[in-house]
Amino acid sequence: MNQDTWRIGNHEMSSRFFLGTGLFPSPFVQNEAIAVSGAEVLTFAIRRVNLDAVEDDSILQHVEPEAFQFLPNTSGARTADEAVRIARLARASGLSDWVKVEISASERTLLPDPIETLRATEILVKEGFTVLPYISDDPVICRKLEEAGAAAIMPGGAPIGTGLGILNPYNISLIVEEASVPVIVDAGLGTASDAALALELGASAVLMNTPVAKAKDPVGMALAMKLAIEAGRLTYLSGRVPKKQYASASSGLEAMVSRPSSPDVL
Amino acid sequence: MKDLILVMGGGIIGLSCALELSRRGVNVRLLETGRCGGQASGAAAGMLAPYSENVEAPDEFFMLCRESLSLYPAWQQLVRECSGNSFEYTPSGSLYVAYHEADLLGLQSRMNWQRTCGSSAVILQGDDLFEAEPGLSRKALAALWTPEESHIYAPDFVTALKSACLSSGVDIQEELGALDLAAWEDHIEVQAASGEIFTGDQLVVCTGAWAGELSGKLGMRIPVQPIRGQICAYTWDAEQTPLNHMVFSSQGYLVQKANGTLVCGASEDIAGFDTSVTDRGIRRLLQWNKNVVPALEQAEPFHRWAGLRPSTLDGRPLIGRVPQAERVVFAAGHYRNGILLSPVTAKLAANCVEGRPLQAWQHAFRPDRFGVAAKVLRS
Ligand SMILES: Cc1cc2nc3c(=O)[nH]c(=O)nc-3n(C[C@H](O)[C@H](O)[C@H](O)COP(=O)(O)OP(=O)(O)OC[C@H]3O[C@@H](n4cnc5c(N)ncnc54)[C@H](O)[C@@H]3O)c2cc1C
Repeated sequence: MNQDTWRIGNHEMSSRFFLGTGLFPSPFVQNEAIAVSGAEVLTFAIRRVNLDAVEDDSILQHVEPEAFQFLPNTSGARTADEAVRIARLARASGLSDWVKVEISASERTLLPDPIETLRATEILVKEGFTVLPYISDDPVICRKLEEAGAAAIMPGGAPIGTGLGILNPYNISLIVEEASVPVIVDAGLGTASDAALALELGASAVLMNTPVAKAKDPVGMALAMKLAIEAGRLTYLSGRVPKKQYASASSGLEAMVSRPSSPDVL
Repeated sequence: MKDLILVMGGGIIGLSCALELSRRGVNVRLLETGRCGGQASGAAAGMLAPYSENVEAPDEFFMLCRESLSLYPAWQQLVRECSGNSFEYTPSGSLYVAYHEADLLGLQSRMNWQRTCGSSAVILQGDDLFEAEPGLSRKALAALWTPEESHIYAPDFVTALKSACLSSGVDIQEELGALDLAAWEDHIEVQAASGEIFTGDQLVVCTGAWAGELSGKLGMRIPVQPIRGQICAYTWDAEQTPLNHMVFSSQGYLVQKANGTLVCGASEDIAGFDTSVTDRGIRRLLQWNKNVVPALEQAEPFHRWAGLRPSTLDGRPLIGRVPQAERVVFAAGHYRNGILLSPVTAKLAANCVEGRPLQAWQHAFRPDRFGVAAKVLRS
């Protein structure tokens, strides 16, 4: 597993856990959670950052910029133009040239607007950004985003902050199957088994904030998620057994008949 | 003989618990290592702002904050009457300022849920905004105006609480130095640095950022950490444009006090129990606050100070009886909102002392909720 690295553009990573820095109960808990998560990529809303003095920002002042790849997001944007303006501001402030395009059409569901997301991706790719669009779990739009030059595709498991888990595992595996860039399941995960499932389905990574930051023990949960992500990845690499309709004995029938009371055949 | 209740800690939480208990006819003795109000409570900006402090969604913590806000008018009146002291309590309302078009979506959804929870907030833009707050920077795009929020002058309020306690018959012992819980099973014994022992029938732990010290003794996880807040104040006299509201932004807040000062807070530093003021901590405040009130560009704060907020692992206070130590009630870990949460905490802690159960939703604050599991796993 030591060799199991992956990349976005030229950036090589071994962690498959992208962690959001919002919502934590305190900077102390946030830092502890980041440390145990092993995350190499941190994400946050650009609109919340003090772009005049990033090193003094109320949240970012607590993390060491050299230690992480930042993935600023355009949350709050309702159109491609807004998202593009926000991304340019972030890059101009020296934060990062990576951007997570997040464009919400509805304030109730915060579901992504696919048309605007595609437009923003096209524009930002041309401007040289490393673009990671957050998008619904639709294989067709995911393919179009890849064609537009997205460096990774980030389909949601469920609407942001709902914790409903991966509502359509079938779609996520189709997206993974068709993509030649990394697929990162973003949004809607609630618990460790959701994270494991994403990796079992072949996703390269997951992005989370709420399920860690709002847990009763965010530090314990960050560790649980890390372990689940590793377990899911290892499951994917190791190849699960096929599902079958009926029971089949794991050792030969003969063994069961000849040694009925032996515990090691059970 | 009537039971005697010991209260450990003379910050706003300990004083409020002591006052409430004695008003209910209970004998109370309050023990303080230093001076009452000498830690976080005397350093606070005194904002009573459940809506600005809970922007995501209504949960148990928000409910607690809101309930406490609704108790404040009668509670501060009681403190005024019992103490005979006066203190500022100003129903200023608040503005939460947005600078980005991308903030509007968040302001809108926050306004929508908060309006179903007792707020009459509206979004102000353009002329309406600058009419409401003429000193505000023209860079501000919009603000959520929440008329229900208010503020109090914390140092004077804490002094008044102490006087109210004394006149209600609370025995206050200050400057006791390190205080140690020596017995808690058959009765309560607290030992002072001098060796003096205070005994009682029950204990209410109100030791703020220091509450975690009892963790080993009581055999439970008490994940309370100090988070330092640095804050400063400007002289803000009649020739300055007054700030009508408490003004919040993603980077901090400003609130004008009746004593002719403008308070600007606050940092959130991980610095252990160190209460010193640093250049970097204050510079950060001075650099962004001119984006809120441009007149601050020419001003220099005359006073800088710091306090230790008691933060917890899930951001919620610890309120309730400890199952492992049934004579011990916790009321600690109020982080950024201890001034706001003091009346509701006093009522709940007093209910616990009287043996009354908490309501189902208040179990979110149980002091034993962190168990031991995760610690064992990580070690
Ligand atoms: C800069 C700043 C601004 C703030 N602004 C606001 C605001 O606007 N609104 C708001 O609601 N909240 C605000 N807060 C938070 C608020 O100040 C705290 O939540 C609140 O004061 C906590 O009260 P407390 O009584 O628990 O703690 P403290 O006031 O710290 O009191 C705890 C007391 O316990 C004593 N003690 C410690 N150990 C022992 C022991 N073993 N035995 C006996 N006594 C002991 C200490 O000496 C201390 O006096 C702010 C905090 C800071 C630092």
